[in-house]
Amino acid sequence: MSLRIAGGRVYDPANGVNGDVRDVCLSDGKVVDDVDEHATRIDARGMVVMPGGVDIHAHIAGPKVNAARRLAPEEHRGDVHERTAIMRAGTGGMVPSTFVTGYRYALLGYTTVVEAATPPLSARHVLAELRDTPMIDPLFLVLLGNNVALFDLIRRDPARVRDAVAWWLEATGGYGVKLVNAGGIERWKRGAGNVTSLDDEVAGVTPRQVIESIGSAVHDLGLPHPVHVHCNNLGVGGNWRTTLDTLDTLEGRRAHLAHLQFHAYGGKPGGRLRSRAPDIAEYLGAHPEFSADVGQVMFGPATTMTADAPVSERLRDITGGKWVNADTEVETGCGIVPFTYKEKNEVHALQWGIGLELFLLSRDPWRLVLSTDHPNGGSFLSYPKLIRLLMDREFRNDQLRRANKKAIRRTVLLDDLDREYTLEEVAIVTRAGPARLLGLRDKGHLGAGADADVTVYDDREDREEMFAVPRYVIKGGHVVVRDGELVEALSGDLLRVAAAHDPAIEDVLRERFEERYTVQFDNYPVREPWLLEPARRVDAGRPA
Amino acid sequence: MPSPERATCAGCGLVCDDITAVVGDDGGLERLERTCPLGDAWFAARVDPARPPARVDGREAGLDEALDAAAAILGGARAPLVYGLGDTSCEAQRAAVALAEAIGATIDPAGPLLDGASGLAFQARGASTATLGEVRDRAAAVVVWRADPATTNPRLFERLRLPDPTRPLIVVDAEPTATAARADTFLELPADRDLEALSTLRAGVRGRTIARADDLAPFDDLASRLLAFGHVAVLQRVHGLAEALALHALVRDLARVTHAVAVTLRREGNAAGAEDVLAWQTGYPAAVSFAGGAPRANPGEWSAAAVLERGDADAALVVGSDPLEHLPPASAERLRSIPVVTVDARATATADAARVAFTTQAAGVHRAGTAHRLDGVPVPLRAVLASDRPSDEDVLAAIAERVA
Repeated sequence: MSLRIAGGRVYDPANGVNGDVRDVCLSDGKVVDDVDEHATRIDARGMVVMPGGVDIHAHIAGPKVNAARRLAPEEHRGDVHERTAIMRAGTGGMVPSTFVTGYRYALLGYTTVVEAATPPLSARHVLAELRDTPMIDPLFLVLLGNNVALFDLIRRDPARVRDAVAWWLEATGGYGVKLVNAGGIERWKRGAGNVTSLDDEVAGVTPRQVIESIGSAVHDLGLPHPVHVHCNNLGVGGNWRTTLDTLDTLEGRRAHLAHLQFHAYGGKPGGRLRSRAPDIAEYLGAHPEFSADVGQVMFGPATTMTADAPVSERLRDITGGKWVNADTEVETGCGIVPFTYKEKNEVHALQWGIGLELFLLSRDPWRLVLSTDHPNGGSFLSYPKLIRLLMDREFRNDQLRRANKKAIRRTVLLDDLDREYTLEEVAIVTRAGPARLLGLRDKGHLGAGADADVTVYDDREDREEMFAVPRYVIKGGHVVVRDGELVEALSGDLLRVAAAHDPAIEDVLRERFEERYTVQFDNYPVREPWLLEPARRVDAGRPA
Repeated sequence: MPSPERATCAGCGLVCDDITAVVGDDGGLERLERTCPLGDAWFAARVDPARPPARVDGREAGLDEALDAAAAILGGARAPLVYGLGDTSCEAQRAAVALAEAIGATIDPAGPLLDGASGLAFQARGASTATLGEVRDRAAAVVVWRADPATTNPRLFERLRLPDPTRPLIVVDAEPTATAARADTFLELPADRDLEALSTLRAGVRGRTIARADDLAPFDDLASRLLAFGHVAVLQRVHGLAEALALHALVRDLARVTHAVAVTLRREGNAAGAEDVLAWQTGYPAAVSFAGGAPRANPGEWSAAAVLERGDADAALVVGSDPLEHLPPASAERLRSIPVVTVDARATATADAARVAFTTQAAGVHRAGTAHRLDGVPVPLRAVLASDRPSDEDVLAAIAERVA
C-alpha cells in the first residue's frame, strides 16, 4: 500500500528539512522517495507534517504500572472507554488500561514508546502487557542498578560485567539498561537507609562503582542507547552535586539522565529547595556525550511510581494517602504514591519552574528532550500543554503569574527568559532527538528507508489544541488516526537489542542465581515466542 | 528410557518451578520429583481426566457442536457471568477477558472469595509487599495471620527456609493448625476478633495505649517484639474488608519504624495472574461488568456471589474453577439453575452439572504458558505431556469468534 502526504509543511530535522512544503511518500511501511499516481493521497496543504512521536521515558507496562492501575478505581470510573468495532474497551485516568494506553498514544501522534523501568524478573509480565498495548512500537529498559548478583560480579569479577549485562538484555527482550538510585534501593531494603553519596557502601560496592562498571559495560557493548540513569538523591535539596558527580564518574562514556528536573536542586537536604537548573544546563551544554529528558511536572494530578522506593516512602509521609511498596528479590524495589502538583505550593511550583528553566536554557534540543516521566510528573496527555508552554511566551507568562510567587522568584524565568520553541525544535524534542538518543535509525525522521510513522497536524495558533488532536497519524504506512478519530487498530513490533555475550557467563551467573533467586535459572530467560514476537532487533556495536 | 523434564507445578500459589516430571517411553507421566502432596494431586487430576474433550447436556459431543452450543448460550444471554480463572495460564485468562468483553458479561475471578479481602483493601490504601526471596532472605520474623500454609501451600516453609532458630515464626489463628504446630509463638484468637487484636497491635506499634480486653495482653507483647525486628513479613489470608484494612494499616505503621511487608497466601496457582490480567485490560482486578460496553467495577454489586445471589445472571462461563464446591449456598443454587459452560482441565462438580463442558489440556501439564505466583512473580508453565485435547485458550478464542 502506498500513500502520498501532499503539500504539507514538513519538519524533519534529522534530514535538515525545516518547514519546507513537500510531499512525503510511503510504501510498504517505509518512507520512500516517490510513489506513483495510484497511491492514496492525503491533502496536507496548510498542515504540519512530522515523524511519529517518540517517548523516551514513560511507565506504561508491568507489575508497578499495574499496581498503580489497581490503586485508582476512582480515576477509572470517571474515564471510561467503550468497546467499538475496532477497539477494545478499557479505562483511563493517570494509568490507563493497556489497550487505552495504546489508543491514546496513537491519538496523540506518538508511535514509539519506551517503558523505562522493568525489573528483569518481571519481564514476562511487562511483555504480556505490551502485547496488549496496541498502536505503538514498544521497547523497555531493564533495571540493573541494585542487582546484588551483579554487585557480586562487580566486586569479584568485574571483567565479566559486560557479558552479564548483555545476557540480561537477551534474557528479557530488553532494549537498554536503566540504573535507578544505584545501590540506594538495595541499601534501603536492607534497613540501612538510602545512600546519600556515591561513595556510601552497599553490599561491598559503592554507587560510584556500580555506575562506572555498568556504564562502561553499556559503552563497551556499543548498545544503541547509552546507560539511562535515574541519579541518586532524587528530590533531595542539593542533589545537583550528586548529578554532576554522577556525570563526572561517567566521563568518557555516553549517558542519558532521566527526568533531570528532579535532580537539579540546590539547597540542603531537608531544607528549602533552590534551582540549579542554570548550572546543570551549562554543564550539559558543554558535554556533548550526555543527554537528558526533562521530567517536567504539570500542575494537576499525577501518579508517582518508581523503583526508587525510599523516595515513595517520603512521599507517603507527605500525602498520608495511598502507598504501595513492593520489594523485588535481588533486583530492585518499587513505590507508588498518587500525587497532585499544585501551582500555589512553593515546592511544586519550583519543580515546575525548574523543568521550564531546563527547557528554556537548553542549548541543544537534540540532547535535552521532552518527558513528564509519565505519569510521575503528569500524564502523557499533558504533552500538548507542555509544548504550548514552550512555544507560547504569553501563555507561559500567564501561567507563571498564577504559580507560587516565592518559587518563581527563585528561578530565572522572569529574567527576560523569553525564548519560544520553534516547530523545528518541538519536532526535535518530541521525535527526532529521542529517536537519535535511542539509536533508533528508522524512527524520528522522514528520510527514505525510515519507518512510515508520520503525524500530520493542523497548523493552529493554539499549540496545545494543535498537538492534542493530530489530523492524521500514520503507523507503519497505515492511516490509524483521521480527523482525531482512531480508524484502524494494529499491533506494533517490540524493539529489542541484539548484543552478543560469551556463553560462559551463564555458568557464572547460574551459581549466583541458585542462592539468591526463588525462580530457577533455567526458567528466568524469556523464550516464549508469543511474548517476544513480533519483534525487531537493533544491533549493538555499531558506531555511535 | 524415561526422560526427566523440567516442570512447574501450579497446584497452589507458590507455583514451584523446580519440579522434575519423569516421562516414560509411552509418553505417560512416570513420576514427579520435589512435588508436595498437593502438587501430586494437582498433576494427577489433570494428566488424563476421565472426561471427553467436549460434552453437551451430559453426553459426549464433537468439538464444533459444543463450541456452537457454548456460543449460543453465551452469545444469547442477557446477563452472562464469567467466573473462576485462577487455575489456568495468563494466556487463557487474557482470552477469557476478551470473551467477557465481547458478550458484555460480568467477570469475576474466584481469588477474592477464596483468599480474602486484601485486594479490596489495596484499592483503598495500597500495601507493602515483597517477593518470596525478600521474605526468605530478609525477614527477621514471619507472622502468619489467619492462614495455614502447611496445608494450603505445603512447600512454603521449605522455600522460606523455615523453621530457623534465628527467625521466629509467629502464628495467629482461631485454632491450632498444622502451621501453628511449627510456630515459635502461637496466639489463639477467635475468628471474629481480628479487629480488636489488630487495633491493639497498631496502638502498640504507634506507642499508644488503647482499651483492650484482658485476654489480648499477648498482643501488647507482640507489638513490642515486632518493633525490635529489623524486618517483619506478614503472610496472611485475612477475610473481611475491615480486617484487611486493619492488617495493612498495621504493616504501614510498622513500616515507619522497621521494614515491613505483607503477602497474601493464594490457594489457586494463578489467582494473582487472574487479577493482574483483568486489571491491565480493564483497570480493575475483580467484579468487572462489561454490560455497558465499557468496564465498570463494584465488588459489592458485581462479585459473582452477589450477581448470582440476586438472580441477575442468566448464563455462566466457568473457567478453571469449581464454584459449586466453594460458592455460598444461595449463589451455588442459582448457578445450578442457569445454563453453564465450563472450560477446565480436570473433572469438576460444576462441569458435570454444566450444559456444555470442555475438558481441555492443562497449562503446566500439556501446554506452556505463564502463571503469576502469589507474590506476583511471573513463572513459565511448561508442557511435559502430549495431548490431543484442545487448550482452554483455544476454546475460549473459538467461542469468541462464534459470538462475534
